[in-house]
Amino acid sequence: MALHRQFSNDGKELIIAIKGKFDFNLVQEFRQAYNNIGEERPTVIIDLRETEYLDSSALGMLLNMRKSLGNSVRGIHIINCRPEVRSILDISRFDKLFTIE
Amino acid sequence: MHVVHDHSKLATDVLQQLEQLDFEFVTAGYSEAVARNGLLSSDITIFIYAAQSQLAPQLRKLFQQAREDDFEADLNDCLIITDDARQLGRWNDDRRKFFVDVVLWPEPIGILKTRIQSLEHANSLRAELTQTRHSLAWHATRIDREHQLVEHIFRNALSRNYLEYQHIRTYLTPVSKFNGDLCLVAPGPIGNIYVFMADFTGHGLAPATGALPLSQAFFAMADRGVSVAEMVTEFNFRLNRLLPDDMFCAGILLELSANGERVTFWNGGMPPAVLFNDAGEILDRMPAQHMALGVLDDDDFDSRVTTFRAPLNSNIALYTDGVIELLGHKMEFLGSDTLEQLLQRFSAPADFPKLVGELEHFRGTQPLHDDLSLAVLSCCPTGLDELKQPNDDTAMPFTLTIDLSSNQLRELDPVNHVLNAIGTLPRLRNHRTTIYLLLAEAYNNALEHGLLRLDSSIKQAPEGFMTYYQLRAERLSALDEGKIRIHVNFIAERGLLEFTVTDTGSGWDTERVITSNNMNHGRGLDLLRQLTTQLKWEQNGREVYFSYQL
Repeated sequence: MALHRQFSNDGKELIIAIKGKFDFNLVQEFRQAYNNIGEERPTVIIDLRETEYLDSSALGMLLNMRKSLGNSVRGIHIINCRPEVRSILDISRFDKLFTIE
Repeated sequence: MHVVHDHSKLATDVLQQLEQLDFEFVTAGYSEAVARNGLLSSDITIFIYAAQSQLAPQLRKLFQQAREDDFEADLNDCLIITDDARQLGRWNDDRRKFFVDVVLWPEPIGILKTRIQSLEHANSLRAELTQTRHSLAWHATRIDREHQLVEHIFRNALSRNYLEYQHIRTYLTPVSKFNGDLCLVAPGPIGNIYVFMADFTGHGLAPATGALPLSQAFFAMADRGVSVAEMVTEFNFRLNRLLPDDMFCAGILLELSANGERVTFWNGGMPPAVLFNDAGEILDRMPAQHMALGVLDDDDFDSRVTTFRAPLNSNIALYTDGVIELLGHKMEFLGSDTLEQLLQRFSAPADFPKLVGELEHFRGTQPLHDDLSLAVLSCCPTGLDELKQPNDDTAMPFTLTIDLSSNQLRELDPVNHVLNAIGTLPRLRNHRTTIYLLLAEAYNNALEHGLLRLDSSIKQAPEGFMTYYQLRAERLSALDEGKIRIHVNFIAERGLLEFTVTDTGSGWDTERVITSNNMNHGRGLDLLRQLTTQLKWEQNGREVYFSYQL
């Protein structure tokens, strides 16, 4: 399973983990992952610990998510980036739009 | 039964009576008995001598010799029949290795039978006892050997356990040789660290056995940097299949991020871990929200985790119930309140030995009743991300050219193939993420815009992304002409990777695209521009060239 989605025990965080390749093949699955976030305004956590590859379509999907969720979430955090992934996000200035840990 | 006799009148009488009593026996003379060491037999031996034949000294010598012999042979029990009343008492001291009974002849009829039968009985009991002793000794040796083997296996299985990690302090004490508690520590690939503490039902070898598959899974998954939720799902999966129904494993798995701030944990059936700071304040408790591992089937298993931010200078104490159920020398349990008080009193990392000292003092000379494990992790930057594998300097130059027909474009994932071919080469391994990105951008550009004539502006509509990629799939499956060439050249001595991607499409207005600054679909281009050098288009945009400096 390339995408794993789960709420935390207290329901305050929606954790979406992407494994291996983050590209347009996940477009639908990724869209569905943040479809039902409820009324609780959770924080969305994009866990890239096992994301080894990503391309510009993944960046587009992240931006789309941000646009689509708007104020219905407390924030979007991108966590556990490998160094190379991190530098790609930095080059694209994602640190201005997301909280990158 | 052997009968050794002196051919006296007395002997004749006794032998006659033995025959009447239906005993079966073999007879021998004294000299013969001495020669064959007549006491060596698994049966009993009757010695008969009359006072006048003066054989008492010879018989004593025979006994003496048997006593002094070192060997562990089965010595038979003896019955001496004599009419020599003066010598009777002198046989008493000969009972160390074998039992000697004495009958003063004449004996009332019937008593002889009883004496022989009791002697036979004692003899068979003793034989049985010897055999049991041998078999016990054999089993003890075997168990020792097996324990050694298992210990060896455990040592190897846990050899990767990173207990010496500088920001964790542990106190792990099993009741027996084998620990039913498990405390595993392993670094992840992104500077994160995992701590897993578990407590199997029971203690000793049986529960410790479950530690093997669990620790193997733990270390393998820590290497991959797997998430806490996924790890516990795998643990539960394994244990559920492995353990008998009445056995399970309580466990808490915790992950601390590289910066030491983000804590993610899953607690199944373990006592609440305690979050406290160096100043001795208890900040929070991390209670069990789930059933222990190995109880629920996959479908019912709940892998949801809890996350929180660890404040500066905070610590997390993980422990098994062996700690709070520690029996003190005044026969009272330690309890979680006392443990928390101790954590407050000895909150600084350097005070951990004092805390352990207090626990040992509390216990005094009371024997342990359960395995005992306590670990305190400091929430601070792990310092583990510096442990990256060293760069491999050996490199081999290569050139790779791949020509793809429309059939192959429809059916293959060329970027993946090229990446698999070159992404594992020593010099390139650490750059594979970027290499993938560059290849994917160049190839997708050639395919989507060059051959499939897709317009990126579609992506700007609300569901544009979905529409765009649906269209991509549709047009790709209908593609029946067009080719793409991927050319990669690695100049090893300069550490330079050159890429050329050519398509047979109709080309495009390179000037317009290069200068446009559209945020939503110029992103790929922007990445190429920033990550590469010498980016240029030829043949009306049908060919792109760029190089990447390692």
